Amino acid sequence: MLTAAPPLDAQVLAFNAHKNRMLPPEQTTNQVKLLDVLLQLKKYYNADILFEESQMSGITVPDFVFDKNLSAEKNMEALLKSTSLTLKKVRKNAYMILPRRIETSAIGSRPSADLQVLTGRRAVAAEIKVSGTVTDANGEGLPGVNVLVKGTINGTNTDVNGKYELDVPSTESVLVFTSIGFQKQEITVGQRSVVDVKMAVETQTLDEVVVTALGIKKEKKALGYAISEVKGEDLTQARSTNIANSLVGKVAGLNISSTATGPSGSSRIVIRGNGSISGNNQPLIIVDGIPINNDNLGSVAIGANREGSWTGSDRGDGISSLNPDEIESISVLKGATAAALYGSRASNGAILVTTKGGKADKGIGVEVNSNFLAEDLLFKSYKDYQYEYGLGSNGIKPTTVAETATRNSWGGRLDGSNSMNYDGVERPYVAAKDNLRKFYNVGTTFTNSVALTGATEKVTYRLSMNDLNNKGVLPNNTLRRNNFALNTNGNLGKRISFVANAKYIIEKNHNRPRVNDSPGNANFAMYVLPTSLDVDVLKNAQFDANGNEKVWSDNQYTQNPYFATEQYQQDDNKKRVIASFEPKYTITDWLYLKGRIGFDNFNYRYKSIEPYGTGYVLRGSYTSSLREFTETNKELLVGVNRKIGEKFAFNGLFGGNMMKQVTNLNEVSANNSFNIPFFYDVSNIDPAARTVTEAYIEKRINSVYGSAEFSYNNYLFVTATARNDWFSTLAKGKNSIFYPSFGVSFVASEALKMPSAINYLKFRGSWAQAGGDTDPYNLSLYYSLSGAHLGSALAQINGTRVPNGDLQPLTSTVSELGLEAKLFNNLLNVDFAVYDRKTTDDIVSATISETSGYTSALFNVGAIRNRGIELLLGATILNGKKFTWDASFNMGYNASEVLSLYGDLQTLRVDQSRPGSAFIHQDVGKPYSQIKGYDFKRDANGKIVYNSQGLAMAGDIRTFGSGVSPYTLGLNNTFNYKGISLSVLVDGKFGGYIYSGTNALAYRFGLHEATLVGREGGVTGEGVTESGERNTAKAPAQAYYSNWYSAIATPFVYKSDFIKLRQIIIQYTIPSRYLGKLPFKGASVSIVGRNLAVLMKKVPVIDPEATYNNGNAQGVEFAGTPPTRSYGVNLNLKF
Amino acid sequence: MLKKLTICLALLAGAGACTKDFKEINVNPNAPSNVPVDYLLGQSQLLVTGSASGPASKAWRANFGYAACLIQQMSSIDATFYKGSFYTFLGEINSAFFDNSYTYAVKSMVNLIEVAKQDPKNVNVLSMARIIKVMEFSRTTDLYGDIPYFEAGKGFIDGNFSPKYDAQQAIYMDMLKELEEAGKAFDAARYIPKAADYIYGGDLDKWKRAANSLMLRLAMRMQKVDPANAELWAKKAIDGGLITGNAETIAVKFANTGAEINSNPNSWILGPSGSNITNIPNAGVQWAKTLIDMMKERQDPRLPVISMIKGGDNSIAKQRGLPNATDATGLSKLDEKNLDNYSRPATGVIGIALPWIYMSYAETQLLKAEAIERGWATGNAKAAFQEGQSAALAQMSWANATISGMDIAAYAAKNPYPEAGTLAAKMNAIHTEVYLLSASTFNHIEGYANWRRTGYPVLTPVNYLGNDTNGQIPRRLRYPLSEEGINPNFKTAIERQGPDVFMTRIWWDKQ
Repeated sequence: MLTAAPPLDAQVLAFNAHKNRMLPPEQTTNQVKLLDVLLQLKKYYNADILFEESQMSGITVPDFVFDKNLSAEKNMEALLKSTSLTLKKVRKNAYMILPRRIETSAIGSRPSADLQVLTGRRAVAAEIKVSGTVTDANGEGLPGVNVLVKGTINGTNTDVNGKYELDVPSTESVLVFTSIGFQKQEITVGQRSVVDVKMAVETQTLDEVVVTALGIKKEKKALGYAISEVKGEDLTQARSTNIANSLVGKVAGLNISSTATGPSGSSRIVIRGNGSISGNNQPLIIVDGIPINNDNLGSVAIGANREGSWTGSDRGDGISSLNPDEIESISVLKGATAAALYGSRASNGAILVTTKGGKADKGIGVEVNSNFLAEDLLFKSYKDYQYEYGLGSNGIKPTTVAETATRNSWGGRLDGSNSMNYDGVERPYVAAKDNLRKFYNVGTTFTNSVALTGATEKVTYRLSMNDLNNKGVLPNNTLRRNNFALNTNGNLGKRISFVANAKYIIEKNHNRPRVNDSPGNANFAMYVLPTSLDVDVLKNAQFDANGNEKVWSDNQYTQNPYFATEQYQQDDNKKRVIASFEPKYTITDWLYLKGRIGFDNFNYRYKSIEPYGTGYVLRGSYTSSLREFTETNKELLVGVNRKIGEKFAFNGLFGGNMMKQVTNLNEVSANNSFNIPFFYDVSNIDPAARTVTEAYIEKRINSVYGSAEFSYNNYLFVTATARNDWFSTLAKGKNSIFYPSFGVSFVASEALKMPSAINYLKFRGSWAQAGGDTDPYNLSLYYSLSGAHLGSALAQINGTRVPNGDLQPLTSTVSELGLEAKLFNNLLNVDFAVYDRKTTDDIVSATISETSGYTSALFNVGAIRNRGIELLLGATILNGKKFTWDASFNMGYNASEVLSLYGDLQTLRVDQSRPGSAFIHQDVGKPYSQIKGYDFKRDANGKIVYNSQGLAMAGDIRTFGSGVSPYTLGLNNTFNYKGISLSVLVDGKFGGYIYSGTNALAYRFGLHEATLVGREGGVTGEGVTESGERNTAKAPAQAYYSNWYSAIATPFVYKSDFIKLRQIIIQYTIPSRYLGKLPFKGASVSIVGRNLAVLMKKVPVIDPEATYNNGNAQGVEFAGTPPTRSYGVNLNLKF
Repeated sequence: MLKKLTICLALLAGAGACTKDFKEINVNPNAPSNVPVDYLLGQSQLLVTGSASGPASKAWRANFGYAACLIQQMSSIDATFYKGSFYTFLGEINSAFFDNSYTYAVKSMVNLIEVAKQDPKNVNVLSMARIIKVMEFSRTTDLYGDIPYFEAGKGFIDGNFSPKYDAQQAIYMDMLKELEEAGKAFDAARYIPKAADYIYGGDLDKWKRAANSLMLRLAMRMQKVDPANAELWAKKAIDGGLITGNAETIAVKFANTGAEINSNPNSWILGPSGSNITNIPNAGVQWAKTLIDMMKERQDPRLPVISMIKGGDNSIAKQRGLPNATDATGLSKLDEKNLDNYSRPATGVIGIALPWIYMSYAETQLLKAEAIERGWATGNAKAAFQEGQSAALAQMSWANATISGMDIAAYAAKNPYPEAGTLAAKMNAIHTEVYLLSASTFNHIEGYANWRRTGYPVLTPVNYLGNDTNGQIPRRLRYPLSEEGINPNFKTAIERQGPDVFMTRIWWDKQ
């Protein structure tokens, strides 16, 4: 991960596994170094042992005999017997080594001279007596805190009330306060005799423990597969409203594309390549053990002349609703192995979101976080547009109103003379370069959250509230989100414990940006606005005399952007409850029974009104819908944790899960049928024009699963899992699938002698299978009743996809090899993986010839392979006392290949671009998502053929390359200087292509600067005539360039490579000594910037990351929301 | 404890394997698997018109955007949409009819025929379905040429995802056979759908005559390329009995409920609920200069019925047609620069409850006149012509307009049948009437086909800057861009018919 490693101090708290150093074997026969023995014991027992290294230096122990039949505690006691140190058990298998103190509980007792003699060192003259109280965040006394005079072994522990007393040599002395679970504090004594300390909770985990499938926490070293964890704070500092977008560039092998739909839109997350041609390729999202619905509630169909391609907006997905402030960590389970226990739904991996729980503090802890983000257009003008010629056609400046009715910028040279405008007013014919600045807002997002944590004797809890208030860059686009969460943990008696979590999310969106085609899409209008049409003119001339839209061009579907943002109304309102209850019954110390009930339920109310008087729908249109979704998971499992002898351990579980998903939808819609102008209610629509839809969609998956993990001597781990799923959506007899998985982890550094440069080395390997299903009701043909005509009811075949009664589960097989290493005193971390993933019997919804009556068909097809490597490098480059520099680099390479399709089919169309000349195909032998399109007609030598008018002719379909970038890279550098940290993340994707519909539009309408060539006098294309002569015909520039739009794709396919300055974070954690009497336990301020600059890109006009939707046809775009950058301030206070 | 554990494990295993209600769960409760054939018949009829699948595809893009503009019945300054006026190409407009037809109408009809075939009592439904299917396919093949026909629409029925492209000749032969068989198969003793038949309300005799009338149209279409078969089928059609009057015109009835599906799709596009008359000052579609000038010259009493300038003035003197290939720049160079003063479809002909006319009685009489002149039928050509001519005027009652007998007589006198003239003169007279008939019933797709076969009336092509045909009127529309690369059979059509361009002539369009 890219978190800054904490500065390494000489007095390191050496308890982390990765800080474990292998020391050369001690040669002395009867004297061993205390430190060495401790480290060896630590390793042997896999114990956490906390000590101050400085206390150990030089101490040797005579005649220590290790007795492996004794416990760690007994061995250590024997070891420390001859020293001035004592052992304190903190918790199971965790110990603290402290200076011995006088056995007294009386307050105010002080170390005696005897003790100092026993240390074997010369006693330091005690000149100043210091006392004080150590408290936690709530002011409660903390017992057992280790208080040391820095650089000495002079120290003490606090008593049960957190009080201590100590003699220090001078006013220069520095007191070091340490306690497990709290941040270390150093305080100079100065002139004080009372030094009170408030300890802040340590946020670093003690062990490298990660959350794995079913929420089981495991030591990372035991895993046979790659897992990446991102800490909550990495998501909240430089935040994105959608946490998925915050993961960009942070995890090797994760490919995230956010749709060009603004802050509340969805994202596409793909782990280790796309395994399915048209099915789901996104991982399962699990929040606190509960799978949540991550469906996009309204994306946009693409393609020319297809239902749904004209309009729509991206209405967000499931992960976009989560509150970043609640998140403790996100584990990315890459691929089927890690996610095997989740079964089919996680065949693309899983993203495990763990939210923050209560802390075992007494009293109530308060955390307040405030965040402000400003959002602005990344490109404030279209750099690749021309501003030499203005609105108009055929090179002529408009002088009549009729001539202004065009989207063309093929007019005359902008000479400043008067020209006509569509509102009938003459204005100078000049470039309007400020349109974007004038039209778009600076978006703002205020996020405030408060969290209360606390504990009673039996229950710990965390209650959090969050308010997000977003104003988009697109005028009138707002998002308000409130998240409430209550997480509780309890122990009811010795055997029964529980975890109960509940989240309530209210999300209100107003006027989400429309995407895709032009109707009502202000962004589209802004892309095609002629170069001389000032957007202010549009602002002031929205309406005609009747209050209807005054259409500014000859195309009624291209709205006045002000009309689109001010008169259109679109609201969606989602209320979501995610709740889980997880009781656990401990039968014996090695056997437990655990249940889990999880709900994900949302109510989604949507209303969209296209206003009365709109150009293309004079009487307006109306849609109002209510969708209720519930997913229930009931799970029961039995778990075993057993040590067999000293070296073997066994972990096993066996469980079952019942999943039920129900969607209820009611919708009323009507087109062009409001009666009373400008009054928008369903009662104002002719009854016959109201379309009422009702849908009930149910799906179930029943599963049983089991897992067994054997470990040997803490360095060899073998895991096997198996799961069987039964799907309600597949054909009887074919609806069951069994899949196993195996994993091995070998921690070589624990098992073998290693060179001193290697601190930790682990090899891992795994193999797994997972199945997958499809949506309900895909097996047979249905009719839809489509109203009535002249007293007789109507019906037609439902949908445009051929159903298939023989569907069977798909299978995804993944194998993976990896290694993890920590080198050179842990200064360098390496995590490397190679994987091979193959999907067979993929359930594909393939585009078929529409002459079959259907546009797609569903069937099990062929095989797709994804192979790749993932590399994560973390390095501490500079590690000075005041200045540190940490760098982290992650890289993923995924090579996909379609191995076979249906029968001997060599190519399969997935989708097509909006202008209709480019397509997305899956081709046998080629990488996933090939962009194909009509090329220019060419002669045998590849020269473009022109017709007698000098216009290029359309030729054959050609393949350009994959729309998915195989390379993803991220580089983060973090610099720390005296508590100020600067972190810079740069990321990029390489090797993919994009068909840019926006650029096609820019050529069609004469906006692109490339269309300047030949404006006066015409263009003679380089090429040949139909008879093979050299082309000499001069074509007018307008016809020459604009004819390519829907006929030829070649000019609009670009490499989608980019490098972006993704984020900069400057953070300052205010040292507690400056907080003084302020009521805070901790405070930090950070200044953040996201998506700051595109350092490199190859496609003009647009953001190379732009996509239509989060579906599978990646590699095409068309006039989406312009990319934005954001800046902000984050303030975090802990009380 | 062990007992507890055993129970738990048994429960788990049971829970997982319990799938007995899965089959019921996976049945869609909101959509039936079977519906009465009447529902499918009614829907199929509406799908021919396009009202049930969005009138923008067939009515707007194909009928107005291309066909009406190509033959200079309509014109628009909107060069980005009304491509037919400029002989230019835009994929989504060019292929709209094709895209819409197969995925809605063809799919529905093929399925209806499959369902109706199952039960002999549905023979009348079956026959109507077969005739409707011919009505649908004949328009598609006339626009595009060779198209999938025999294997089309069977994606579900037999899993054919890449239907073959059939030669137009074979399609024509089968359509004629279908009309003959279907017409003969009607059986008054079997179930007769009434309410769901929006064309004749279940009148089987009218259906038989309609089948013959359609047969005549198809037969005459083959006049150049296969005169022998044209004669054979024209004779069969006329002998079998054509529709007998304007009351039997083949038309789908509509109603005014406020819903698109119940509305005449041509009206929906042009009319009060549609987009043409809205607030777009400079766009929409107007009557073309060629048409208005011709009607004025012929003193056609239909002119004030079908035409008005913006605001409703339908006086003949005020009517002015927009020249084709006029874009906004072109308009600024004309004497009349205000688009409002150009003629457009009048309010009276674009009521959304008006019937949608597929083939008028007048057309059958005019085609019969041609057949007689060619010696393929017996009778008096002049009488047939006159019957057609007067019926074409009288039938404006479809739009609630009354053209008096006096006006009809005056028009007939002004535009007499050149009985003594050459065959060419006669053909010009007949097909000019067909041309005006198609314009005044918004039957532009048929008008375009008839014009391509006969060449009458003679039109002067336009030559818009950057057009795709070098200034010639396109002879067909191009196939959808989506077919190449997805249907391997597509290339056989190109090999047989010629390159997929506007100027490639289809089978019956012989020079």
